[in-house]
Amino acid sequence: MKTKVRFKPLVYHLMKLSLIQCLLAVIFTGVSLANEVNAQEILKQKVSVRVENQGVRQALTVIEKQVKIRFAYRPTALPADRKITLIASNEPLAEVLGKLTRSLRLRYEIIGQQIILTPEKEAAPVRASSGALPREVNIPLARKVAGIVNDEAGTGLPGVSVVVKGTTRGTTTNADGRFDVEVPNDNATLVFSYLGYVTQEIMVGNQVQLTVALKVDAKSLEEVIVVGYGVQRKSDLTGSVGTVKGEALQERPSASLNQALSGRITGVNVSVNSGRPGGRANIRIRGNTSVSVANNPLYVIDGVILNATGLANGSTPMDYINPNDIASIEVLKDASATAIYGARGANGVILVSTKRGSKDGGRVSYDTDFSVGVLPRKIPLLNSEEFLRVEDVAYENAKKYDPVGWAGGKYVDPKTKRTNPLLFDSNGRPLYNTDWQDESFRKALTQNHQLSFTGGNSKDNFGVYLGYRNEDGLMTGSWLKRFSGRFVVDSQIKKWLKIGGALSYNDQNESQVDPLDAGGIIAMRQVLEALPIIPVRYPDGRWGGNEDYPGMEGGGNPVHVATERLYYLKTQTMLGNIYTNITLAKGLELRTTLGTNVINQRNDYYGGRTLNYISRNQGGDAYITNERHNSWQFENYLTYNTKFNSIHSVNALLGLAWQHVDRFSSQARAQRFQDDYFQFNNLGAGAVAVAPTSSTSAYGLNSYFGRINYSLKEKYLLTFTGRIDGSSKFGSSNRYAVFPSAALAWRVIDEDFMKGLPVISNLKLRTSYGLTGNSEITAYQALAGLGNYSVIFNNTRQIGIGVNRLANPDLRWEKTAQVDAGIEVGLFNNRLNLEFDVYRKLTSDMLLSAPVPSSSGYTTVSQNIGSMENRGIELGINSVNVATPNFNWSTAFNISINRNKVIALTGGADIFSGSTIIREGQPVGSFFGFVHQGTWSLAEESEAARYLKKPGDIKYQDVNQDGVINDNDRVIIGKGIPDGFGTLTNTFSHKNLELMVDLQFMYGNDVLFRSKHSAEDRTGIANSFKTVLNAWTPERQNTNIAQTRPVSAGYNTNNDTDRVQDGSFIRGRNLLLSYRFPTKMIEKIHLSRLRAFASVQNFFLRTKFQGYDPEVSTSGSAFDQGVDLYAYPKPRVFMVGLNIGL
Amino acid sequence: MNATVKYISRWLISGALLVSAGSCSEFLEEPDRSNFTLENYFTKPEHAESVVNSIYENLRNVLGGGFGGAPWMMLEFATGLANTELGQAQNSIFVRNLVNNSDNGYGATYWTNHYRGIANANLAIAKIPGITMNEAAKKRYLGEARFLRALYYYELVRIFGSIPLIKDPVDLKSPDLYAPQASVEEIYKLIEADLIEAEASGLPNADVTGRASMGAVKSLLSSVYLTMAGYPLQKGAEYYKKAADKAQEVVQMKSFSLFPSYDDLHNPAKKNTGENIFMVQFAAFVLPSNWQTSIIPYNQGISAYTDETGAIFANKEFVESYEQGDKRTAEKQFYYSSFSLRSDRTKTRNLGGYYLYKHFDNTAQLSTTSSDLNWTVLRYAEVLLTLAEASNEANGPTAVAYDAVNAVRKRAELPELKGLSKEELREAIWRERWYELSFENKTWYDMVRLRKAFNVTTKKFENYVGHKFSYGPTLKDRELLFPIPTAEIRNNSKLKQNPGY
Repeated sequence: MKTKVRFKPLVYHLMKLSLIQCLLAVIFTGVSLANEVNAQEILKQKVSVRVENQGVRQALTVIEKQVKIRFAYRPTALPADRKITLIASNEPLAEVLGKLTRSLRLRYEIIGQQIILTPEKEAAPVRASSGALPREVNIPLARKVAGIVNDEAGTGLPGVSVVVKGTTRGTTTNADGRFDVEVPNDNATLVFSYLGYVTQEIMVGNQVQLTVALKVDAKSLEEVIVVGYGVQRKSDLTGSVGTVKGEALQERPSASLNQALSGRITGVNVSVNSGRPGGRANIRIRGNTSVSVANNPLYVIDGVILNATGLANGSTPMDYINPNDIASIEVLKDASATAIYGARGANGVILVSTKRGSKDGGRVSYDTDFSVGVLPRKIPLLNSEEFLRVEDVAYENAKKYDPVGWAGGKYVDPKTKRTNPLLFDSNGRPLYNTDWQDESFRKALTQNHQLSFTGGNSKDNFGVYLGYRNEDGLMTGSWLKRFSGRFVVDSQIKKWLKIGGALSYNDQNESQVDPLDAGGIIAMRQVLEALPIIPVRYPDGRWGGNEDYPGMEGGGNPVHVATERLYYLKTQTMLGNIYTNITLAKGLELRTTLGTNVINQRNDYYGGRTLNYISRNQGGDAYITNERHNSWQFENYLTYNTKFNSIHSVNALLGLAWQHVDRFSSQARAQRFQDDYFQFNNLGAGAVAVAPTSSTSAYGLNSYFGRINYSLKEKYLLTFTGRIDGSSKFGSSNRYAVFPSAALAWRVIDEDFMKGLPVISNLKLRTSYGLTGNSEITAYQALAGLGNYSVIFNNTRQIGIGVNRLANPDLRWEKTAQVDAGIEVGLFNNRLNLEFDVYRKLTSDMLLSAPVPSSSGYTTVSQNIGSMENRGIELGINSVNVATPNFNWSTAFNISINRNKVIALTGGADIFSGSTIIREGQPVGSFFGFVHQGTWSLAEESEAARYLKKPGDIKYQDVNQDGVINDNDRVIIGKGIPDGFGTLTNTFSHKNLELMVDLQFMYGNDVLFRSKHSAEDRTGIANSFKTVLNAWTPERQNTNIAQTRPVSAGYNTNNDTDRVQDGSFIRGRNLLLSYRFPTKMIEKIHLSRLRAFASVQNFFLRTKFQGYDPEVSTSGSAFDQGVDLYAYPKPRVFMVGLNIGL
Repeated sequence: MNATVKYISRWLISGALLVSAGSCSEFLEEPDRSNFTLENYFTKPEHAESVVNSIYENLRNVLGGGFGGAPWMMLEFATGLANTELGQAQNSIFVRNLVNNSDNGYGATYWTNHYRGIANANLAIAKIPGITMNEAAKKRYLGEARFLRALYYYELVRIFGSIPLIKDPVDLKSPDLYAPQASVEEIYKLIEADLIEAEASGLPNADVTGRASMGAVKSLLSSVYLTMAGYPLQKGAEYYKKAADKAQEVVQMKSFSLFPSYDDLHNPAKKNTGENIFMVQFAAFVLPSNWQTSIIPYNQGISAYTDETGAIFANKEFVESYEQGDKRTAEKQFYYSSFSLRSDRTKTRNLGGYYLYKHFDNTAQLSTTSSDLNWTVLRYAEVLLTLAEASNEANGPTAVAYDAVNAVRKRAELPELKGLSKEELREAIWRERWYELSFENKTWYDMVRLRKAFNVTTKKFENYVGHKFSYGPTLKDRELLFPIPTAEIRNNSKLKQNPGY
């Protein structure tokens, strides 16, 4: 502005404090309290004024005191001595302002919380009307035209600018949307404009009364999408980007972002693999892209890349971000979108934007929820009577399966050992019949509190966010506590300089009972295997355990294990960034960001002295692992926006970045404690000190990136992206690589020929192709590292240094080429929206810890070998089925189908990874094992004997028909990765009441139910699944379960087709009922927002799988999705919550 | 506007600085601070010791045991004289039932660990000569390295037959990375050469700390010669004589002697002394040996260890085939068939089978659950039996042969052998080897060296191929070797699988 404007001092409104406000005021005094209101709402507010022949400024003050606005004007336009009379009694502000401005020949405009008054003869800002400002032409006025301006629903729109075209004359509609205007003649054209609506021009003709309906400007309302290093309107996107807003996340409050993201975006498969607090989620965007360990997407929070990997027990840095801090999540899927992240984009990119300060005055919000989780389904297990019966039957069968041992007296009648008076009565009948699922699983309570204070205006704003979450797990002994705080500030400190930043701190403490890859005794296993004849504790307080009954595999009971095997993760995360944004010239900006992520994670472990198979042999076992992950990044980029000849628009980006990541870990460990008292708190109290360890690693990345978006007539959109990345992980000759992409989009809807098809309201075609990379191998693979060896001489540990790593100086980046084609269609005025994508990703030069002949002394070398393909389609449909003023019904459906195939591997060799096999021509994550054909029948006795089997033994298929059953008879028997998955959400709203039904489905995936190994394949040494009652007998030969016998008499247990179960499922993920209190009602208690909700998550599950939940993995191996070995069940969660804003 | 220009130039300057900083290649140079690399090691005498130390570690990795059994057991199940209660140890069961195949993880563990040991030995042999240090010490270190390389190859060649012969450090470019198989003859040539060189390296006769000694070198060489005399090289009398000579040299060192009591064989206090010539080293609470849980019966509650896996025990028929009065089969000599209960040590339980007592660590089993026992690789009784057998083959039944075998029999409280024909003595010595060295990973090697198997019913030796185990399966040609691991064949197209697999 060239002319000087002096603003009146800001007036804070004193408000009567409601109870909640009092509370908040105590916590955070001095914050301006103001309601969130837009211009329309401001104008609708009622004011009463009685000013008779007084100074005009006094009148304004009276208004300011009643509504939360302030007036701004030039002193010359409103001399202090100007006297007016203004009387209004509970009238809308629009009306009052109309009276005021008309009499003073002023115009007003609302910008944020300000009403700017300008003399009418000054060029009035004509918003939303394109083209040059109207010329000042003095035309005599001939007659009046009156009318009403309505919105699409037929409600009057106040504050609409009505201007006679070509002049500055005009007015604004009043609170009812009515206007009066004088026009020079019948040829005059009136221009109706209003922010957020399509500007309309109407030739007056001979009409005296006009009814105008303004249409919502879809484009202006359209969401802005965050893309790498910038934002774009959705309509301008050429790539495939999925988005979720923070409000949607609020519908299903959860402990971690990964959990919250489940089912929101096509192509993004979130498998929440553990039901413990915080869960353990596996995220795959468009399938597994790499056979190397890293298939996780790249997480970028406010521009800061989360680099830490290998956190304890399968957690990721994402688990330490408070999901309530998130304003929006964008998932970049195709190469056009991800190529800007070049070497790190191949697995897709998840961009998280956190909540910022407020642009329109102070706000406080408080969100809370309370929930209780319960076990949704139980696995049928043997009770006491059944367990003892099975044991008796096994004993009877011992002579059949181990005649030598039987003759040698190895087997004793179990009835003779049922003498312990603590467990049996005098007749050998059990005293207890413990249901370990009842004893172990509890009603898990969770409370969650999120408080935020935000303030500011369109130039400077800040926010303070505080969070507390306390979640108990379903399983005794598991919990999560999180304290989080975050401060953000953004400030336009100069016209050309904007700075800002965010700093967040998260302190999370977890007690976990489900270690990854645990095959031994863990609490979850003992839930299935603790004997029903044992109590939790004896009357004298001692723990009951399987060893109390002789001959058992003597694990402790699950409550005992969960109580005395402590695994605590204490994670402190700091995430910070500062940025400056400098406008160098019109359209040219330089942005610099400095970001850092520090994670300190301490893992405390203690296994008690009495825990069999866990730490009894060690006399108590304690360790403390400290891990410190640091990463910083420094990025500078220029963006240039320009438009020329009014049809070409260009948005260009050029930047460079440095990143550095380092990690240090150390562990101290001691064993043989005299007392469990110390736990991990005094390692010096352990008699045996295990050798301490420490290690460090670091890598750096140096990158150059650029992007050009070009649009012709806003119809033809073109994007070129390129990034050059250099990484210290690679040998000097292959350090840098280039990752280019190109994309094209055509907004067909804007073509003239589409005008004749009113049913189609949006049509866009887009396609992209590009390369992205993956460098997520561990550092130093290009160096020939030597390693530690431990040897004993003279009873003392001594150290050797020998070969460790086969160097590959020629290592280079893994590349994924992706082609994507998408179509976006909107029908019936966008009431039905459809987005469809088809893609193919081809990964080549796969970074693989590839096997080498171990005759070399090495077993693997990091190599670029092999290729893999993912093909898929994604479909998302959103429809508004019913839209009436009082009732709305909308449906969102999405489905993603992905096919993964390994195309080539090192010399074609299979790679075994966890429970799965990686084989050419097959999808990764394929289960491998025997074909289980039931059991040998009596009729097949001689055939069984050829395989050294007896009738009643499991019958495996002799696949290669060589007369023996051995590893050569193993085949691919299933896969853990689904064919497809998706979500169906229906939302019904009646006035302020909303019901949402969110269903999740997945199909074509199998579960390898490995728990069967110990809970079904063998019996009599621990408790078993109830299915073992269906074991082979001469009377029941048609069964999958081998004849019961003592374990030492020999039995078969293998990964086989009997363990592979169909893991397809439909889940009622969320049933949500919410009520948004009407503004009128809550205004009285000075709230701007009040929403109450109740929900049931995981409200039903339909599946053929026999375990707790088919969405499962207990393995840390990269492709072991769907492997269930003693999984932690997912709770059914009943929740109530409140969202309060003031 | 001037101010703006000033700021722009400032930023452009700082931007330029950043670009130049970034183009410094040092930003992308990250050294590995936790580990040495080949380029910056082997500069000090200490480095010679540490690289030699590293060779020893892989001796350990085939031992041990868990719920999947352990690799060392494959050499026992292959004899047909062992049994298991561990149903989930499929690898053991496949070997025991003679349906083994190349996917067996035990074989892969042998292959991988032994070649790792060889790689470290190769590294030591290639790099130590370049280190400036005391020449005598240097020679001793090289002697240890050669002894260990010979030991690793000796085991591999007997298990797998024709295998790659790697003598130098390997990198990604060396042809040895994808090495073809060398003939068995060539492998033995290297073994013999390494041991002869080790003999000249100035090692002490015995070493109580557990390092390789001259006694170990000569004992191993006698065993190597004995094997070379038999199958598959069949070098015959000349090598029997060499074997006898080497064994005789060990005897004449007078550094070793038979323990008076069998208990001493598994007494941690006697580690690396007396009868023990070379052992794989363990230390309780530091690096304990962990086969204890495998040699106790399945969940019968006799041990302080929580895991009682019953992974390996002796076939009843074999134990009962020992001569009447053989002390070794008396309770708690080589085997045990009853034991007290953890819950009440005054109560004894009949275990219904013969479990291995010669590997039993009393202290660990009864209280500490951390075993201090070493694993015996070479012991004096074997040297004596080698001397007896080789001498009988070379010179017939002389006093040398009788004295050697009778020393072993005497301890077993058996009558002395005398007045036998060469053939009778031969079988008597074999039998003694079977009985004395049972479950020490010796018997199967003897079986394939001699192509003989012991019939527990007739107590006679019969041909290996065609021999029927007491529990059914019959040995075929292919069982003269184990299969080369599947992964190795897949990863190295130059390898040919052993016949029959």
